[in-house]
Amino acid sequence: MPLPADIDLTNPDHFDQGPPHEWFTWLRANDPVYWQDEEDGPGFWSITKYQDLKHVSRHPELFSSWRGGTNIFELEEDDLTGVRLLMINMDPPRHAKYRRIVSKGFTPKRISLLEDHVRALARRIVDRIADKGECEFVSEVASQVPMATICEMLGVPEADHQLVYDLSNRLIGFDDPDFQTSMDDGGEAAAEMYAYAEQLGAERSKAPRDDLTSILLSADVDGEKLTQDEFDAFFLLLAIAGNETTRTVTAQGMRLLSEHPDQRRAITDDPSLIGPAVEEILRYAPAVISFRRTAMADVEIRGKQIRNGDKVVMWYPGANRDEEAFDDPQKFDVSRNPNDHHAFGIGEHFCLGASLARLQLRTIFDELLTRLPDIEVDGEVKYLRSNFIDGIKEMRVRFTPETQRRKAAS
Amino acid sequence: MKVVVDYDLCEANARCMQACPEIFYVDDDDNLQVKQETFDEALLSKVQEAVRLCPRQALAIGDD
Repeated sequence: MPLPADIDLTNPDHFDQGPPHEWFTWLRANDPVYWQDEEDGPGFWSITKYQDLKHVSRHPELFSSWRGGTNIFELEEDDLTGVRLLMINMDPPRHAKYRRIVSKGFTPKRISLLEDHVRALARRIVDRIADKGECEFVSEVASQVPMATICEMLGVPEADHQLVYDLSNRLIGFDDPDFQTSMDDGGEAAAEMYAYAEQLGAERSKAPRDDLTSILLSADVDGEKLTQDEFDAFFLLLAIAGNETTRTVTAQGMRLLSEHPDQRRAITDDPSLIGPAVEEILRYAPAVISFRRTAMADVEIRGKQIRNGDKVVMWYPGANRDEEAFDDPQKFDVSRNPNDHHAFGIGEHFCLGASLARLQLRTIFDELLTRLPDIEVDGEVKYLRSNFIDGIKEMRVRFTPETQRRKAAS
Repeated sequence: MKVVVDYDLCEANARCMQACPEIFYVDDDDNLQVKQETFDEALLSKVQEAVRLCPRQALAIGDD
């Protein structure tokens, strides 16, 4: 049993084999609104209970995304001004006006129109590896569907998909030495992304298409078009949010199905379990580990006095294993039902891409498990060193080549 | 009791329709239609589910 003094959620080293679930379990039971000191910051309250995460999320007027941004680390005024261009760092009413620009394109119904297209993508991706018998899962499978899909929705030509992918890696990987050695490189990657967005935007201004870039160009908030900065930021947010998270959950799902072969077999025996399995992967290994809010008033949660201006951090992996919200929460169970997890958040900032993510995840796992049913992790899993995204950088897998399996079956 | 909808928050996720189709209907244009605003005890638990499950927390139960 750790003492509170040992718990340090600020240090990404403690996340380099995945989130520290023993700490979250202890915190939920002993100190669910836990004050975490910071070496280079004012400290923050840590939320690990399901109902509390929901409460904080549902009250943007009390817990602001704008005031300090939504990342744990403190930002200089200039950087804060910069991140406030992203709608993820806005509060109502401003947030709603920005979100409304694109929200109609992300509803479950609208996303379901992409089903055949996503299926064709997934099929091609599996085609490329199916007879190799092994591959590097992150670069060859997990990253491919979300990259292609969000880039297409944005109107990024296929030749530029890799560039957008590389830039978004550098933006997310700010704590991991493999991707980035400093915040400055993140700044550079952002600048390169903005330059790309502007170039694409210039092309679309001349000849608009039915893509998100064209929609952003023609959009207006309160009668005003988006400024260049606002357009750039929106493009960046969609590119990153669309890339990093779905890739992460795909890789985490592959890892979990490998570690729980009985669960993988349950799905191959009964493919109707793909939907529930995807929800369980999301619950068990949410891509987003943490988001931050800043209190706008003195607020009490479970007897703790949160002061106006205090930082409050929500820990999604913690809330998703709350014993009071889920039966046997540490059990990975692909047939779990109900499964009302908060991997996508809830309320004002509920993940805009949730339906898209779900479609991609169901499709890629269906394609993989149908054609390569014995696919499993082969060797070490290389995690992203981050307390923000539960990423996997590299993970080799092996499987019986498809043609060989077919020959054996016939 | 009556259903209160924040249409600015609604994004046609249709969890409400799954939970309580007697009251909530999301049409082909992604518009939420509330079939009956007021309801009684018989539908309360379904409406409560709808309120709980809405990913955008766009629903509430109000007094008549």
